[in-house]
Amino acid sequence: MPTQTYIPLANITLSSAVGNVTFSSIPATYRDLVLVMNGTSSSGNPFAFLRFNGDSGSNYNYAFMYGDSASAVSSTFSSQTTGFIGNIDTGLRNNVIAQIMDYSATDRHKTTLARSDAGLVIATSGRWANTSAVTSMSVNVNTGSFSAGFTFALYGIVS
Amino acid sequence: MTMTLIQTKTLASQAASIEFTSIPQDGTDLLVLTALRNSTPSTGWADALVRPNGATTNLTSIALYGTGSTAGSLPNSTDIYHQAVNGGSTSNTFSNSTIYITNYTASNAKSITVDTVTEQNTTLALAAITRGLWNNTAAITSLTIVPTANNFEGGSTISLYKITKGTDGIVVVS
Repeated sequence: MPTQTYIPLANITLSSAVGNVTFSSIPATYRDLVLVMNGTSSSGNPFAFLRFNGDSGSNYNYAFMYGDSASAVSSTFSSQTTGFIGNIDTGLRNNVIAQIMDYSATDRHKTTLARSDAGLVIATSGRWANTSAVTSMSVNVNTGSFSAGFTFALYGIVS
Repeated sequence: MTMTLIQTKTLASQAASIEFTSIPQDGTDLLVLTALRNSTPSTGWADALVRPNGATTNLTSIALYGTGSTAGSLPNSTDIYHQAVNGGSTSNTFSNSTIYITNYTASNAKSITVDTVTEQNTTLALAAITRGLWNNTAAITSLTIVPTANNFEGGSTISLYKITKGTDGIVVVS
């Protein structure tokens, strides 16, 4: 990985459990965004997803591979309403690092590369089929919630 | 810019470890970039260990790897691994890794994310991503990279950066 510049944009440490965190008013100043998440979940070993600009259409496609300490597995999903970025296993210290490429470009779909470390080790590539610049981004879990103390930090990467 | 170089170490000759001490406590995350070569005279690679605060306990990991012909996943209940190409391999090659440690001063267990690549003219290749955990609440004040066999060769280089979270006053989080 080449040396990157991490410009701090926003961060939050949850004071109570929530199922959704939204970053809005994201300026088109940078080339990429990096989201670093760390913490655990309240119950249910949920999955974490990204949604851009509030788009709930079937515009999210992703492929992932994971290792469960015994085997390597890969799968793909298309036409989803959110983009998968990793697991938030209950009772474990989970780490997710997601990089959103060319988020401010208006001539291409947006690609996300994510690494998730929990009970599994997971690498995901995703595509949001939309050419709009990303101005807001929501992170949510499909069940349960991000526990209190969960940290989210968003950075801009200079071109 | 919040990504700040703390220190780069390049070995002038073989060494049994590479250590960073007195890591500043005013950052949020640590990023480590490594270029490592092991002194083992055969081809292949040797493992290298990540030891926060010199720890040899409470370290676990799960790796997902591909060699060009097979893919698999392995657990480790005692260490966090990455790799260093052996000295008998193609000249002038090093294994490269990115190690990311989130919330390194926080009083909870530390997530350690490792990505590694080793390539030897297509005859020998390894790409691995590893989920590491140091189950200790102490802040990380030092970091040691240790080979599991022999030494690191001269020319091996490790750079340590800190990344500090903050706000730009524009982006709203809710």
